[in-house]
Amino acid sequence: MSPNPIAQPEWKKRADMKVLNTDLRRVDGEAKATGRAVYSHDVRLPNMLYAKFLRCPHPAAKVVDLDLGPVSAVSGAIHALAIESEETSFLGQPVAAVAAESLEAAEDAIRAIRVEYETSGWAVTEEQGLDPATPSIGRRGNSFVDRETGDLDEASAAVASADVMVESTYTVPVQHHCCLETHGLVVDFDGKRAKVWASTQHVTGVSQQVAGELSISTSDVEVITDYMGGGFGAKFGIGIEGQTACRFAKELKRPIHLMLDRADEFLFSGNRSGGRQILKAGANMDGRIVGMTAEIWRHGGIARGSNPGQPYIYSVESSHMQMGSVHTNTDANRAMRAPGHPQASFAIEGIVDELAYALGMDLLDFRMRNLEDPVYHRQLDRVAKEVGWYEHGYRAEPNRSRGGKNVGIGFGISVWGGGGRPVCVTSVRIDPDGSVTASTGSQDLGTGTRTYVGAIAAEEFGLKASQVIGRVGHSAYGPANGSGGSTTVASLAPAVKDAAHKAREQFAERLASWLECSAEQVRFEGGEVYSTAEPGKRLSWAEACSILGSRPIEASGEFQGHLQTQGVHGAQAAMVEVDTQTGALKVLKMVGIQDCGLPLNRLAIRSQINGGMIEALGYALFEERVIEPWLGYALSANFNDYKLPGCKEMPELVAIIDDDDDRQQVIGMAEPTIIPGHSAIANAVHNACGVRVYDLPLTPDKILMGLTKKA
Amino acid sequence: MKNFEMLMPTTMKDAVESLPEERTNPLSAQATRILAGGQDLLPEMKDHLAEPDVVVNLKGVDELSGSVRNPGSEASILGTGRIHIGALTSIAALASNAEIREEYGVLSKSAESIATPQIRTQATIGGNLCQRPRCWYYRNEDTVCLKRGGDECFSYAGLNKYNAILGGGPSYIVHPSDLATALLAIGATVVTTQRALDLSEFFTLPSESDPTRENVLEPNEVIETVLLDSSLGASNGWKSTYIKFMERESFDFAISAVALMLKFDGDKISEARLCLGGVAPIPWRCESTEKLLVGRTIDDKLCEEAGEDALRGAEPLEFNEYKIPLTKSLIAKALKELA
Repeated sequence: MSPNPIAQPEWKKRADMKVLNTDLRRVDGEAKATGRAVYSHDVRLPNMLYAKFLRCPHPAAKVVDLDLGPVSAVSGAIHALAIESEETSFLGQPVAAVAAESLEAAEDAIRAIRVEYETSGWAVTEEQGLDPATPSIGRRGNSFVDRETGDLDEASAAVASADVMVESTYTVPVQHHCCLETHGLVVDFDGKRAKVWASTQHVTGVSQQVAGELSISTSDVEVITDYMGGGFGAKFGIGIEGQTACRFAKELKRPIHLMLDRADEFLFSGNRSGGRQILKAGANMDGRIVGMTAEIWRHGGIARGSNPGQPYIYSVESSHMQMGSVHTNTDANRAMRAPGHPQASFAIEGIVDELAYALGMDLLDFRMRNLEDPVYHRQLDRVAKEVGWYEHGYRAEPNRSRGGKNVGIGFGISVWGGGGRPVCVTSVRIDPDGSVTASTGSQDLGTGTRTYVGAIAAEEFGLKASQVIGRVGHSAYGPANGSGGSTTVASLAPAVKDAAHKAREQFAERLASWLECSAEQVRFEGGEVYSTAEPGKRLSWAEACSILGSRPIEASGEFQGHLQTQGVHGAQAAMVEVDTQTGALKVLKMVGIQDCGLPLNRLAIRSQINGGMIEALGYALFEERVIEPWLGYALSANFNDYKLPGCKEMPELVAIIDDDDDRQQVIGMAEPTIIPGHSAIANAVHNACGVRVYDLPLTPDKILMGLTKKA
Repeated sequence: MKNFEMLMPTTMKDAVESLPEERTNPLSAQATRILAGGQDLLPEMKDHLAEPDVVVNLKGVDELSGSVRNPGSEASILGTGRIHIGALTSIAALASNAEIREEYGVLSKSAESIATPQIRTQATIGGNLCQRPRCWYYRNEDTVCLKRGGDECFSYAGLNKYNAILGGGPSYIVHPSDLATALLAIGATVVTTQRALDLSEFFTLPSESDPTRENVLEPNEVIETVLLDSSLGASNGWKSTYIKFMERESFDFAISAVALMLKFDGDKISEARLCLGGVAPIPWRCESTEKLLVGRTIDDKLCEEAGEDALRGAEPLEFNEYKIPLTKSLIAKALKELA
């Protein structure tokens, strides 16, 4: 605590901001683009060993014999460990690991291990999971219902008595995170203290977990995440890779480099759960949805899967939902950018469209009639204008013409929290040489954390963003949040603001006598310091700092709840072109609007909106984990068969910050941007040609077969 | 990747002598592999689909250096009747070659449709013709499918969305080469260290011979040149196009592709050559459709008839029926483009 605080920290009015709420280029962009940025993958230490996993090639198997002996004959192999020597429960589960002098030697050693498996029954599809002959996968059985809301009889009656009724089954495949940097870490342990370079979304958590694995205290673990290549929700815990690296480090007393390979990444580092949703809904001629029943089955592999439930954001007079999970012998799902929400969005936005068409109503008008929150009305109207909806010829019925290329438009909406939590302790330091650093243990997932951490302090001191060094991703910089649920900015920014505010007050106190004024009269503006009593007498920032002599200013900041809030919306529109002869789908344009309270870095926010739309584009067009249902082979565990969109798939992207949201508090907004894009695209496909694809992805075979049937 | 010995011959004689003379069993030729651009071989080795003991790198072989070569003067392309393309010519060089663009649009278009700029710069025409199947069963190390010396084609009763609708059985792969489809339409000749082969004789159906092979090359036979017959070029009145349908436009293998060459007499087709890619274990020539087209004017009716005829023998598997209407549409598009 600084002595006698003059005032609570408050964000400046937007109009007064010089650094925040502007377009800031990310400070580490050049280092990343030129390859100078050092990621955990890049760390090379003297005497370091490379570790690697052997995966089980079966969905489930008994390990009859695991012979690590042959490893000793492989040149460069140092040590092998059994990870699972009894029974495996999912395809690709690690059964053993090796450490070797080189990655090549580790690969050879892995292949030298002899394992005898015995397979009986397994399941990789929902149908197989429900088959009574399939051995038990989860402790609660292979399927269970764990959530029920509403009254089924009442909702069913409401549906039945509605003017129009539709019933559809929507399915989504398993999607992968596809982080450019795979999971993993480098552990350097000397028996007492450990230094860890981790690709993680939670530096603070890694230090605690590594300490546990190594049986040392957290204060003896230093965790560094200077740069990381994406997490999207899959990189919270240290995982089997962290546990294994620690085991090797402890036993071998040598630094261990354990980064997963791409197939590992696809097979045992998490995913977005798939699922099946059966929706029945009824609406009246006045455009109100009066009833809905939803049966939801999540496909989370050996885990539960996720889905926030139906009717999601829409208002339905009487609804019933039953939600359950079906287990399969596949990798457990993990959090992935807005867990569950894109899945829910796909089904509800589809059924909402179906109801509107059944009533012959304008799709946008029908949405608004079933959305209470006026923010959605404003946002939908904005994206509709931007995408050209009001000039579009097919607003209440799809284009059913054949022979050419048809254009269609679709919509979707999102919702998110994005509020912060009191976890971060940050620091801001002003040195006599004029340098300023703002530090946090929190990691930058690629969202631009490092940039706004510095920018908040720069705004406080009237400096340019480039005059403050933002330091992130180090356990020594203080406890920090895990970056999940879009909570980072709202957890961290208030704490940085608090530290900067306190540092400014201390600095003002120190400068007051020099400027012959009171601390309250000291102003920091435009790289200068002056007193309101004598504005003509100004010190440059460097001059002011030199007055500090040998006593730099250092202030620590904590979460300030009033500087953040939660609750955001979002709407997106997509315009597509469907070739009715071939089923080829081209997304022409995507428009996304996002409210986010007080914008810190407008460029980064628009980039987040673009990124969310692009990730949804991939989900719409290609992304699908494929496991062979009859033989149990992983067929898509590589970037040839698991397709991501490339440059030619990119539509015109229009990212809009909703400046009608005038809340003077920061809110996280990364996740909602991925929620509705694929739904908007799927709806646009139907709008373009009358073919509704009920199961993602929207590949041309499905569209073309749909066109063939409708012809 | 398994360790291997790499040989760097500088003459074709040395290269050939370093290769095994005979194929003692279906997979014996795998013990020594030829490296050109490496865009298929290296991934195969990394995935342990190929585990050669010896890799013979052709890049130092004098006779193969250079890119698209025409031994005569510019004016004599037609006179000598041939455009020679060295086997190590990169796909990028092929795609950007002005002579080829002018004479054989179908070949330029197919070359530029391949993979990514990085891969096109590295990959060669010889390697492209010899690349192995992309079937995801074959590419999975844990399967031992027909193509890998096993006794079953798993795609037949499996996830066969990308597999063959024509010429399948006992293997249902589709040949992945775009150049092959275009070159077959052009009537190209492959000159190897042992013989000159019409491209139609170069590829082999799984039902015709050893299903682990896609072509007739002997273990010690190396492609030296691809020859193009200029009587089928634009200078002789031929118009041509290549339409490739991909799931992902940015880079992908063909789900279906059409190479079409037409010569006109007024608005009537006087000669036609039509080949399909991405639908059969070999580039698939549609000779009866070619005959059907001759003497006709391109209109909707002809487009429909041509599609029907070309796909008449198609036998879809469980998940690839869409390739039939798709390919018909592509044929119609190609015809209309050249009309």
